[in-house]
Amino acid sequence: MTIKKMADSGLMIMVIYLIIFAIYAAVQPSALSAYSIQGLFNNSLPLMLAAAGATFVILQGGFDLSVAGTISLVNSIVAVLQFDGAIGAVGILGIALTVGILVGAINGFVVAYLKIQAIAATLATMIICQGIALLILRAPGGYVSDFMAYELTGSVLEVPVSIIVAFLVAMLWFVFRRTNAGRNLLAIGQDAKASELSGIDVARTKFFSFIWAGAFYALAAYFLAAQTSTGSPSAGEPFLLLTFAAVALGGTAFGGGRGGVTASLLGAATLVLMQKFLFSIGVSSFYTGMVQGLIMILAVLFSGAVQFVVDKRNIT
Amino acid sequence: MTERINISNLSKRYGATVALSGVDMGIWPGEVHAVLGENGAGKSTLVKILSGVVSSNAGSISLDEEIIRPSSIIEARRWGIATAFQELSLIPNMTVAENLLLPRASSGRFWPESKASIFERANEVLIEWEIDDISSQSIVADLTLAQRQRIELVRALSHAHCLLILDEPTAALPDTSWLFRQIRHVTSQGVSVLYISHRLNEVREICQRATILRNGATMGTVDLEGVDDEDIFSMMVGHESSHKNKASQENATNKEVLLETDQLASKMLKGINLKLHAGEILGVAGLEGQGQQELFRIFGGLHKPKSGEIKVGNKVTSLNSPRQALRVNPGIAFVPEERKTEGIFPSLSAAANISIPNFATTGWAKIVNGRLERHLAAEAASQVGLSTRYLDFEVGNLSGGNQQKVLLARALMTGAKILVLFDPTRGVDVGTKQSIYAMMRHFVDQGGAIIFYSSELSELVQLSSRCLVVYDGLITDDVAANEISEERLLASAHGPVNARKESIQEAV
Repeated sequence: MTIKKMADSGLMIMVIYLIIFAIYAAVQPSALSAYSIQGLFNNSLPLMLAAAGATFVILQGGFDLSVAGTISLVNSIVAVLQFDGAIGAVGILGIALTVGILVGAINGFVVAYLKIQAIAATLATMIICQGIALLILRAPGGYVSDFMAYELTGSVLEVPVSIIVAFLVAMLWFVFRRTNAGRNLLAIGQDAKASELSGIDVARTKFFSFIWAGAFYALAAYFLAAQTSTGSPSAGEPFLLLTFAAVALGGTAFGGGRGGVTASLLGAATLVLMQKFLFSIGVSSFYTGMVQGLIMILAVLFSGAVQFVVDKRNIT
Repeated sequence: MTERINISNLSKRYGATVALSGVDMGIWPGEVHAVLGENGAGKSTLVKILSGVVSSNAGSISLDEEIIRPSSIIEARRWGIATAFQELSLIPNMTVAENLLLPRASSGRFWPESKASIFERANEVLIEWEIDDISSQSIVADLTLAQRQRIELVRALSHAHCLLILDEPTAALPDTSWLFRQIRHVTSQGVSVLYISHRLNEVREICQRATILRNGATMGTVDLEGVDDEDIFSMMVGHESSHKNKASQENATNKEVLLETDQLASKMLKGINLKLHAGEILGVAGLEGQGQQELFRIFGGLHKPKSGEIKVGNKVTSLNSPRQALRVNPGIAFVPEERKTEGIFPSLSAAANISIPNFATTGWAKIVNGRLERHLAAEAASQVGLSTRYLDFEVGNLSGGNQQKVLLARALMTGAKILVLFDPTRGVDVGTKQSIYAMMRHFVDQGGAIIFYSSELSELVQLSSRCLVVYDGLITDDVAANEISEERLLASAHGPVNARKESIQEAV
């Protein structure tokens, strides 16, 4: 396996994660208990899902700021729906996904077909969604059913539900990137002009990347509600920057065309793990952001260095 | 026999620019039909319309007597029309197989097709078109340019059931025998081929007829058997413009040399030797992409040469940045072709745009004096014929011609004695052209020197006191003022073979 494939496959971020986890476990042996692992993954899942969604848009060369607004909106909706039990949870999931996909469809339509700049368009939807969230839920609170709060954050056959969800997303990506839709998405990110001349429907592919993103943001908001047993009209705000940091840490290029959803899942998990680790060794939370930023710069530098070496070899 | 494809009165406008204004042509089934024309004659627009990338404003295309209007590449393919583009449309970090089969690389309906099976299908395509040195599993970015060109061609060949469009298909191919074999294979099955190339000997080898375009309109269709190269060239440039109408210019080649290069080489350039004298307007002619762009960018300090020497005012210098190019005595000012992206500050006033070099070189912490700025700018503006009432306008709101004048005024403002102009009149109106010409003549009369490239031959003929022709990274011809004609330049620009023939004729 070449060094380039390693960097592209998300193996690097996997290694970084395991190293940090090993140090964390050495400092804090209780981290290896089933309970803490479950807790760690429950805490990580919402950011992982949000990063997974953003990856679809970033891979085609776009940008999506609506993540914060969509999560706030869906989180508020989940918290005002009073459906109980497993059926209720499935119903709420359906509504959440519908709302997320709707926001994604609006983003996609405006960006892909009306050709409005992605940053401007998604900034607008973010603000609009935040406004609607406040109309739905005035203040943090609301109602989350016991089923969601306990079963969705628990384990099935000793495996935490959150790990199962993350694994399913990784599987979905594994299949998706081998489909025509997945190949075309990566092709557009590499060279939109050449893709068009190759017969790819560029606008449609872009449109659907926003739909995927919206659905994943909704999923993130749904599990966030389950994890915190509450809803908040500003739940999405902390996600805005961390989502992009997680995607970059996973090695996905912001110009598009290079990277993948699985790497972003791991990038997000690494960011949350860092937070836990720094907390456990007693570093003030004021420093957490600094360390996370530093790790991100190092990861981006490393992937840039790999690309540089590869390019150099191609030229000579 | 009815024509396979018939194009009638096809027209296309981009905003105010007319790209095509009435193209008429027809191609028989199984015919290889050339489209010839100067740069900007409308060839690539025609290709884009036929392949569904852009749509026409007027006129019609009929395929087997049925009117079609392809609106995307995929739709054109459904009609059996496929194109190999000049600017190669392959995705770099994907395999050859994926590129050949896009946008439906996987044929699986409910589950993605396995890689092995995709490679297998791509291999069949490669074998069908006699490619045995490229694996369907290799990544396109790892291939040589010639290999990439063949993949682009194979993709078009495999989709072209009615019409195959080849836009400069041999630009990167060292040998045409493979391509011509494939072309003969498809034409034997009744596929028509539209062939665009600036290499006339190739066109004569493979094509039966040629349609000549000029200024976006058809000049006529000829049987290649019955015409010689000179007839074709004069149809391409037009008869009325072939005679010279320029002011007499004294020979400047014995004056002081301001700029000189010795074996200058870079990615595209293979060893350029030239001398630019004071008082001289040195024209550079060439087809697109022969290296002239790199040469000019090197002079402007925007591109680094790999080897060779540049002497400015008899001193060897390296031009590492535009700032350095300006400062090296007697100073080089470069005006790039892309004025929108590389030249102007659209939201500043014209006066500010003109006087920027003055403030950029005199100090970084000085306060800009608005009245001084306007005064300085007015002087330069008058030399390029820019009316002073435009000085307070935001440059973004000026017309293209006036923007160009602003850029030229800025170049004058720098005080440089050497002007390096890349296509200074592209896209500007006739009146502006005249004031630009006047400025250029005035500039060299004052002892400056100009080297300029133009895609319009008539302009080179009119302005140059000497004209160089670049072809494939080399200067292939150096034409003195009294010998410059559009035919001569065009012939030289189509390769050394034509140039030699021309000079032999003169020798006789």
